[in-house]
Amino acid sequence: METSHTLAALTSQLLVGLSRAMILFIVSSGLSFILGVLRVPNVAHGSLYMIGAFAAHTIATAFDGSVAAFWLAMFCAPLIVAGISLIAERLLFCHLYEREHLMLLLFTFALMLILGDLTKMTWGADYRSIVAPPFLQGSIPVLGTAFPRYNLFLLLVGPLVAVGLWLISAKTKFGKIARAAAVDREMVGAIGINVSWVFAFAFVLGCLLAGLGGALVSPTISITLGMDHSIIIEAFLIVTIGGLGNIWGAMVGSLIFGITQSVGVMVLPQFAIVFPYLAVVVILTLKPTGLLKSVW
Amino acid sequence: MKREGYVSFGLFLIAGICALAVLLPAPVEARNIKVGIVDTYSGPPAVFGNDALNGFKMAVNEINKQGVLGGKIEFVTRDDKFKVDIGLNMAKELVLKENVDLIVGTVNSGLALAVSDAVAKKEKIPFITWMGKSENITGKAGHRYVFSTTENTAMAGKAAANVLSKKPYKKIWVAGDDYEYGHALDESFSRYMKQLKPDVEFIGKTWWKVGEPDLVPYFTSIQSANPDLIHFCTGGASMANVLKTIKTTGISQKIPVYIHTAIDYAVLKPLGTEAPEGVMGTMDYLFYYPELSTNQKFVKEYQALYKAPPGFPAFHAYTTAYLIAEAFRIAGKIDREKFIDAIEGLKVDTPVGKVEMRACDHQAVYPMLFGTTKISKEFGAAIATDIITLRGAEVMPACEEIQAARK
Amino acid sequence: MIKDILRTPSFLWTAAVLLALLLVPFFAGRFYVYILAVVFVTGLLAMSLNLLVGHGGAYQFHHCVFYGVGAYTAGLILAKTSLPAWLGLCAGPLAAALTGLVIGAFCVRLNKLYFGMLQISLGSLIWIVALRWYDLTNGDDGIHGIPMPELLSGSVNAYYFLLIIVSACLALMYLILKSPFGATLRAVRDNPQRCEAVGIDVRRHQLLAIVIGTFFAGVAGVLFVVLEGSVFPDMLFWVLSLEIFIMCLLGGWFTFFGPMLGAAIMVALRTFVGSYTDYWTLILGVVLILLIFFLPEGIMGVNFRSWQRRRERRRSADDVR
Repeated sequence: METSHTLAALTSQLLVGLSRAMILFIVSSGLSFILGVLRVPNVAHGSLYMIGAFAAHTIATAFDGSVAAFWLAMFCAPLIVAGISLIAERLLFCHLYEREHLMLLLFTFALMLILGDLTKMTWGADYRSIVAPPFLQGSIPVLGTAFPRYNLFLLLVGPLVAVGLWLISAKTKFGKIARAAAVDREMVGAIGINVSWVFAFAFVLGCLLAGLGGALVSPTISITLGMDHSIIIEAFLIVTIGGLGNIWGAMVGSLIFGITQSVGVMVLPQFAIVFPYLAVVVILTLKPTGLLKSVW
Repeated sequence: MKREGYVSFGLFLIAGICALAVLLPAPVEARNIKVGIVDTYSGPPAVFGNDALNGFKMAVNEINKQGVLGGKIEFVTRDDKFKVDIGLNMAKELVLKENVDLIVGTVNSGLALAVSDAVAKKEKIPFITWMGKSENITGKAGHRYVFSTTENTAMAGKAAANVLSKKPYKKIWVAGDDYEYGHALDESFSRYMKQLKPDVEFIGKTWWKVGEPDLVPYFTSIQSANPDLIHFCTGGASMANVLKTIKTTGISQKIPVYIHTAIDYAVLKPLGTEAPEGVMGTMDYLFYYPELSTNQKFVKEYQALYKAPPGFPAFHAYTTAYLIAEAFRIAGKIDREKFIDAIEGLKVDTPVGKVEMRACDHQAVYPMLFGTTKISKEFGAAIATDIITLRGAEVMPACEEIQAARK
Repeated sequence: MIKDILRTPSFLWTAAVLLALLLVPFFAGRFYVYILAVVFVTGLLAMSLNLLVGHGGAYQFHHCVFYGVGAYTAGLILAKTSLPAWLGLCAGPLAAALTGLVIGAFCVRLNKLYFGMLQISLGSLIWIVALRWYDLTNGDDGIHGIPMPELLSGSVNAYYFLLIIVSACLALMYLILKSPFGATLRAVRDNPQRCEAVGIDVRRHQLLAIVIGTFFAGVAGVLFVVLEGSVFPDMLFWVLSLEIFIMCLLGGWFTFFGPMLGAAIMVALRTFVGSYTDYWTLILGVVLILLIFFLPEGIMGVNFRSWQRRRERRRSADDVR
């Protein structure tokens, strides 16, 4: 009785950790992609995640909270975020690619500050809440414990995004060019490809993923200002332990992050949130460049 | 000197003149009573901050019709973003630069303690917390310059323990925000439960960081432990999240849940019909109960101004404004020490009857209401049902307890 | 060397400013004395970062961790133990330097971006422990009412103490930068490969620079505790690290006093603009973007560059003759 009880508890925690890892993966894969292709640590990534959540709320509640509105929100919010990132990229970002990393980092930090306040101006300082469609609400019994249905949905979406991203990166022309540009942008430019547009697409794709993460996570949390600060540090750490620019590394990192925290809750709740950070330190001590190969 | 030297000197001179203009003290203005409000106006706790500000504004408008000591009450607000360091800076700025006569506010109990110690006690300026509920504020950390016009965790814990000790709950799990308020809630409730029901067992404690976005892993873990009752010790930052997660995991349908302030309208209104039902909670003010004509009048006026009925923050802030006005009137002048002498033991009329600012610990005396959430079609949100009332005298900690704790 | 420094015009300017600062409490209200003291602390922190980044070229992305470690060490010793106050105040910078050494040892093995990312990771671990270890650090609430010796309490006393210590630290930093070690540091920043070729141990120099920089950051942290009597976990949060970067950028990377000026401007903006609008961070972001595009060398950098160019022109004119 004791063992099966603990086993059930462990399974439940693992599943919850996995579903959380999916959100982390979607967000950090975008960050990793941008880092890999543009060599830019995009601090504003968290802000775009937050805007994705707010935008999802606005769309989902616009039509009286119907089910169709929810799916429309899931589809459109990332696109809105992508649009915002495209504007930022074409107006400001593209002029800075020649500068050193530090300047780019500070630029994205400035962007984070600006987007944060623009979010406050647009949506106000109150928190928002949206609800998943009825068939995704409630929980289903898994091995004796109740597992929220929405988290199950996340467990399905995550791998889909991963596969989709891999297909784009490995199988499409754009993906191949992007990976080449990451390694040697001058060469890519020399053979006649418009590197500037490659970078623009890569940036927009990465930000779209941030928006998608924000939209998907919104039914499970309170949508509030400050979401940007908390997600970005986690995303950065995941990208660092996964290998800079490596999408599968982002998956591995997210899994480590999500599961260590979730199981940590069972083992030592007070310091549950410390376990992912400890894991990061251990991994980086042994392999400072990350678990999987960095793109550059 | 070369030309760049002249330029540098010129810049230095300009900077010096600007500095002098800024540093020289400003002329003294005409004398209104200036109240500095430090509260949270962004993020989930903004629900409380805004409600309180509305209640305060309504009261101040009423009071200013007559005026106080020949002048009016004016106020400035500062957003602390629920962070102690920002709030403390704001409080210092209000005292040192804006020259306020007293400070009010702070939904964040950690900030309330910090302001009480670093600003109120140090600068000898009265500080009234109208929402920071930790009993330590007027209890062991209390002193001459800090007051509370909100119910505190001792009162809530005693009220809840009074009701819940009569129920068959033996194994209790505690979960909440890892900060002053969360821990104070736990300590008070556990203390009084053990007194009333010695065989109660607290089988586990889970503390998450303030504002933790993802609570699901904590909930599933608690569910696996299968307690008889869960005591959620959650404050402004996580309250909405906790209630939402209760609904999505359906935990309250399997395990009874008790949360202080869960039945407050300011908390339940934003969740609308998505609020969880069957959650037990305590509160000192409900706009629909008891049905007193004074309360109904207050609610009607508030609703006319702000389109929604008031929650406890509005009630506390309203009471605070009247306490401030009356205390200054009795004091006869805008003097901090005289104000404190006047407010100790002062009783004012509030929408639910007379409320006393107890002299021995500077804590306002309120009754406590215990109820269970249920969706009301009339209000489009959840309200409390099966309400049990406990009078102030039943729930206040004794003055001797306070004196002992302060030593 | 010292005699040469005393004769330069910039020393006279510095002495004048110092004199003005000594006299401020006689004229200004308490609030402005307090704000100036905040500028001193923040400025010292920014200067310590610039030592590493501007002069050393290191990707010190999470510098405020050392500031926080210094502050928490001093705060914990003063608040929770009955050890003498001076012990706590001295322990702060030492703890910070030790942390700097440990983290630095991890980071110097790597280059550039990896250095920065690793530092963020290790620094964040310290942050999260400080935040979550409620029994030790009071977590999110922070520690308040930290007792200070009589000599240092009160706004005016604290102001003078901070002024003295910060001036001493700055003088020390200046001497370090003017010394051969400083020259090596700048050489390592500009061309590490050439330095290796010449036989300089790049890693060791960087590590030594890190220890010095983090020591000063720890001093800043201790001074914060003296001034405010509190510590907060946000002192270790990554946003503060980036804000310090902005101060250096704003004031000027390659100049000596640049970061101090940047800190002064940031604190002034935050205090005075912040009391008028809720959107102060928006303004900060816009200012930062303008800086990046139009003034990457900061305010003092402009003067510095044009001064440098004029000096070179004069020299080359002399050569021609």
